Amino acid sequence: MSTAVRAEWTKLRTVPSTGWLLLTAVVLTVGVSTLETVVVKCPASCSDDTTKVSLTGVLVGQAAVAVLAVLVVTGEYSSGMIRITLTAVPRRITALAAKAIVLTGVVLATGAIAVAGSVLAGRYILPGNGFTGAHGSLALSLGAGPTLRAAAGSVLYLALVALLSLGLATALRDSGASITVLLGLLYIVPLLTDLGTLDPRWEHRLQEWGPMTAGLAIQATRNLKSLPIGPWPGLGVLALWAAGALLAGGLLLRLRDA
Amino acid sequence: MSTGTITPYRSEQRPGRDDFPHLLRSEWTKFRTVRGWLIAMVAAVLLSALAVVAIASAANGKQNPAANPTVAIGPDGEAVTDNFYFVHQPLTGNGSITVRVTSLTDAEQPGQPPFGNVSQPWAKAGIILKASSKPGSAYAAVMATPGHGVRMQYNYTHDLAGLSGTPSAASPRWLRLTRSGDTITGYDSTDGTHWTKIGTVTLAGLPPAVKAGLFAASPQYVQGGQGFANNSGPGGIDTRITATFDHVSLRDGRPGGTWTAGRIGFPTGPEGRFHCTASGPQQPGHYHGKCAPGAVPLSGSIIAGSGGTYTVTQNGGEIGPYVTNVDPLGTVLKGTAVGLLAVIALGALFITAEYRRGLIRTTFAASPRRGRVLAAKAIVIGSVTFVAGLIGAAIALPIAERKLHSGGWASSVFPIWSLTSGRGLQIVVGTAGLLAVAAILALSAGAVLRRSAGAITAVVVLLIVPLILGVVLPQGPADWLLRLTPAAAFGLQQGTPQYSQVMHICQPYNGCFPLSPWNGFLVACAWAAAALGLAAYLLRRRDV
Repeated sequence: MSTAVRAEWTKLRTVPSTGWLLLTAVVLTVGVSTLETVVVKCPASCSDDTTKVSLTGVLVGQAAVAVLAVLVVTGEYSSGMIRITLTAVPRRITALAAKAIVLTGVVLATGAIAVAGSVLAGRYILPGNGFTGAHGSLALSLGAGPTLRAAAGSVLYLALVALLSLGLATALRDSGASITVLLGLLYIVPLLTDLGTLDPRWEHRLQEWGPMTAGLAIQATRNLKSLPIGPWPGLGVLALWAAGALLAGGLLLRLRDA
Repeated sequence: MSTGTITPYRSEQRPGRDDFPHLLRSEWTKFRTVRGWLIAMVAAVLLSALAVVAIASAANGKQNPAANPTVAIGPDGEAVTDNFYFVHQPLTGNGSITVRVTSLTDAEQPGQPPFGNVSQPWAKAGIILKASSKPGSAYAAVMATPGHGVRMQYNYTHDLAGLSGTPSAASPRWLRLTRSGDTITGYDSTDGTHWTKIGTVTLAGLPPAVKAGLFAASPQYVQGGQGFANNSGPGGIDTRITATFDHVSLRDGRPGGTWTAGRIGFPTGPEGRFHCTASGPQQPGHYHGKCAPGAVPLSGSIIAGSGGTYTVTQNGGEIGPYVTNVDPLGTVLKGTAVGLLAVIALGALFITAEYRRGLIRTTFAASPRRGRVLAAKAIVIGSVTFVAGLIGAAIALPIAERKLHSGGWASSVFPIWSLTSGRGLQIVVGTAGLLAVAAILALSAGAVLRRSAGAITAVVVLLIVPLILGVVLPQGPADWLLRLTPAAAFGLQQGTPQYSQVMHICQPYNGCFPLSPWNGFLVACAWAAAALGLAAYLLRRRDV
């Protein structure tokens, strides 16, 4: 297993697109979060969830993480390298597990940087916008329990999205198809539930079971009772999606030729 | 050894032709012969039509109070707001009514916390010819407004501009309405002798005796926009209009009658709320003709002063279209995002598959002018997507609208657009155009990045993520995001009518887009053109 992990790590770090994609993920996350914290001001909306405001960028940065995860698998298929990989590591589940381990490590590290950057931006910009603790607003501080939970949860969220993409890509084997299905899964559900026209039962179901809508519940630190699903259960729903995708991918990997 | 002549070999083939139509034909051949692409295009369109219809079935209006509000119905069947007080006399047969307005101010109603300068630009005071006292009956009015000068409005949804500027004692406004059969003409003037015609309208089926009179109405002042995740939406402040009329004259060939005070609409105002003065608590709800304890029913007072002057004070009221904040058709049409994703994938794959298989070298060897190759690809993928989108939207729109209305969304507030109406055509052609532009954008991204995953993601982030962020950002930045990104083209799918004569804050949270629909489409086209330019430049500079 350790040789497989070392091999996967070599593959990942020697491909130039990995670096660019991780950089894009960090830039997008921190950039969108900073944009959001700069424009949200206290006299207009003091009761906002400041932690969720400063972590908004995660919903854009996850796209770059998803692309990285998809390319980790489909890059091998498109270049024909998969035959060599599966010859070198005949136990295919080990090969998939090694990919998953390396990918998770890399995404956790990058996610930590991105989330830390977002929270720092919030920490320094929000008090200037009026969120000083007065008028019922929350000052952002990483020491506070819920904020720490939201930040750590967002890093986990990115890792789970990467694992979901990995499983899906292993099942579909084609980069275009995998990324299309994945982005559809992630972004179409909030598009439908955001505009408030659906039957409330369907809206609730979609928000509870959609991978992105449920997973991002981890970022909420206020009004937890009014959320469709709690923070940790929401992340658990995303974990279920990732587990299901990895299961499907692993099964297909074992049953198919290559 | 015989040296016979050997005819040199000449190929039987004719030289190939290197013109654009043949290039188009070869690109079309590439598209239709890849197993799965044509099927994928058809499947994408069918899937999005299915998604739209499925979402329409799930859009339950029965539990949504905004789906079937209590409204008056206007002459064309549309939902209208028709609440005002006026003094009137019957005008029988042909005749005219004239008035001079010497002052007009609008401010917030007393008794509320001070909000600063609250002057409803569309508050109205003027003359009106109304068919009957039933709310929603036909009318034509000429009025002075604090923010938009003199206007002539008729049948709730129509608005014509007259003289600009606010009336004052130094520069009064004379207003006149003349009736001749079913035709009513509005005039305005600054001195009472030189009249300018504002407009002529024909109100079908006017009774012989219409109510002609002086009226005033002052709708709520709407301020604020959405906050983060719409934490603080716009609020309405009750306003009051004060105006002075004099030189009132009514000519219809009959001896002068007496002015009667009348009321149209009220007690249930636009949101089912009884408009009561703020001397008691303002509370929403149906009061069936009564105010909450301590509050007094709205009064419009048009008091006759000396010398034929009338002082008009009116709290609240409005004559105009009913403006709703929800857009169920626009939401339902977001189901096209399903097909949009597939179309983006196809557009990117159209060129990245060539890179992956190495066919791109053959393509560029056969057609060394790479800009033309890109143009041919763009035309092929754009036209195929446009046609497919047109068919899909034309099928899905009527079905979705029927399902919405059987689900409880009142057709007076949310009109059913037929495929031949202006708005119906805008939705169908606009959706097809949006899909085509997305495909071309994806093609360019694929040519620039040469990898499908990156190209598809880039286009999805530009096209779909702004819709999600637009709901989460506060009003100003959300508006800018939806003006600058190609997602502005989704404005073509808006289903509820927009009226410029009503004060209304267009919130992305409610599905309202800041740019006008076709301007939003132009933004998306500009992005596609820029991307094509970048792709052409890079294709020429790079090796392959």
